[in-house]
Amino acid sequence: MKSKIANRQSSIVDLPSWLDPSPWLGKKFSARDVEQALGAESPNEDTLAALLSPAAADFLEPMAARAQALTRRHFGRTVQLYVPLYLSSYCPGGCAYCGFASDRDTERHKLSFEQVETELAALKKMGLEEILLLTGERTPQADFEYVLKCVELAAKHFHKVTIEVFPMSGKEYGQLAEAGCTGVTLYQETYHPDVYPEMHRWGPKSNMLERIKAPGRALAGGLRMAGLGTLLGLSDPLFDLIALYRHVRHLQKTRWQAGLSVSFPRIQNEAGGFLAPHPVSEKQLAQIVFAFRICLSDVPLVLSTRESAAFRDGMAGLGCNKMSVASKTTVGGYGDEGSEEGQFDVNDNRGVDEFCAMLRARELEPVFKNWDEVYR
Amino acid sequence: MKLETGNLKLGSHEFGSRLILGTGKFSNTETMIRAIEASGTELVTVALRRFNREKPDDDLCAPLAKLKNVTLMPNTSGAMNAKEAVRAAQLGRELSGSPFVKVEIHPNPHHLMPDAIETYIAAKELAADGFIVLPYIPADPVLAKKLEDVGCAAVMPLGAAIGSGGGLSTADMIQLIIRDSNIPVIVDAGLRAPSEAARAMEMGCDACLVNSAIAAATDPAAMAKAFALGVETGFAARNAGLMPKSEVAVASSPLTSFLG
Repeated sequence: MKSKIANRQSSIVDLPSWLDPSPWLGKKFSARDVEQALGAESPNEDTLAALLSPAAADFLEPMAARAQALTRRHFGRTVQLYVPLYLSSYCPGGCAYCGFASDRDTERHKLSFEQVETELAALKKMGLEEILLLTGERTPQADFEYVLKCVELAAKHFHKVTIEVFPMSGKEYGQLAEAGCTGVTLYQETYHPDVYPEMHRWGPKSNMLERIKAPGRALAGGLRMAGLGTLLGLSDPLFDLIALYRHVRHLQKTRWQAGLSVSFPRIQNEAGGFLAPHPVSEKQLAQIVFAFRICLSDVPLVLSTRESAAFRDGMAGLGCNKMSVASKTTVGGYGDEGSEEGQFDVNDNRGVDEFCAMLRARELEPVFKNWDEVYR
Repeated sequence: MKLETGNLKLGSHEFGSRLILGTGKFSNTETMIRAIEASGTELVTVALRRFNREKPDDDLCAPLAKLKNVTLMPNTSGAMNAKEAVRAAQLGRELSGSPFVKVEIHPNPHHLMPDAIETYIAAKELAADGFIVLPYIPADPVLAKKLEDVGCAAVMPLGAAIGSGGGLSTADMIQLIIRDSNIPVIVDAGLRAPSEAARAMEMGCDACLVNSAIAAATDPAAMAKAFALGVETGFAARNAGLMPKSEVAVASSPLTSFLG
């Protein structure tokens, strides 16, 4: 992948040194470098940069084979399933790519606690055991108390409850952990200091360094797991991916008990017609997933229903070991009719049974429950 | 002539097979069951977090409980400390009815190395509570003796990291554990090939616990059988009396002939 803005380093100094990817940008890699990276005993940033390089695009097959072998070794022939539940589409944020941004002319919704119960019951009936609760940024409609109550309701029915909401204080994360929340998903979206403000035009999320700190704060506050990711397409992928890798490694060193995972959301057709300035193709996405599996062999890698059924089928077990299923990105929608427009388009609309049948046909076991409430 | 296997004694229970199987990572329940049957194992471990009473096709416990001549040993994988492991063990006993527990505490969810301190605390409490406790531990001879002293039925040092296929990379430490142990020593984690299981048994281990090497094999049932043979062969070889190893050739003109 080409680093189009690798030379725009004037503001990179804003990033903490443990995150700064600039030493790995603009390097040229040969086929020999890629071969060496494929066999690296102790993968590092150099390995990742080589495997993300244009030269590695010719090595997709051996990268896939290595990624599959490492995935099997650490996670077996299994794929863990989870489902998102959007609680609210109110948001004061100005994220250029998001269907729920405050300047979007879309009707806002929020689930009442009764509706939350209905949705939870519908998801439970589908056999799902890991649920991800989502909101926008903090609003009077969906504030901390609201999220806390929703976590409590979900924890009554599900062994594993995680959140993808607004960054909070350490104390608030601690309260959520007490209520039964196991983990947090907090995508940085982009680590590029020039691009970040262009994409996060207003609202609490516009403070880039605050967002970078949030996963560490969640872990310090008492949550066990943190899911990181960048929104592929927003910025130079090499910049973002090296920084993402460094963020994971930093948390592994500073929060050694943390369970970390990495997701690879990719902008395709966002609600509202946002076009990715740095589009990432399916082939490039596959290369990225393989490179991360090789460099972070024991970290769960997640692929959502943003991607097409055919791509997800191919990637299952081939680097990715965790997938969402039967997702709706509208507020609610499992128990009752959801709102009309979602946060982004879902490209794999298969139900639980159909998706599991695909996994089984590929000799992969769908795992619904891989956690227990006794570990709260 | 049948190879000597002897019985593996754990607490008041005896097992005809010295191979214990883990049940995670298989592509489906049928493959797991076939591997268990092919291995001839009589003891399998299953993670409490994979018990799912509400969804039978996601539940590992019920299909294992149906197997004849196979005892279930719930494990506490997922626990980050002694308190959680004790809670998980109690729930596992309640749900499975088995007195066995594999204490498995790995606070780092990535490399999954066992926490010696928390394992000791949990093992002591569970043994006092009447469990037959098999702790998964670093290959530490001092810890192994301390666990024996608090009433564990066996110790299970790792050969290498879980799922690594690193083999018996801790062989020297395991040998020290075996030398001084009054309870069975079971190598748990790291084994990749049946030859390594045979080697562990030749060294003096009482049993081997294998999961990844079987679940990740191209033909898990065939690999399970191969591991059973490896364990059996190593144990029989040990009982048959291995020829002493010597790096020094015996000279034809003895060096000590002058001693008369």
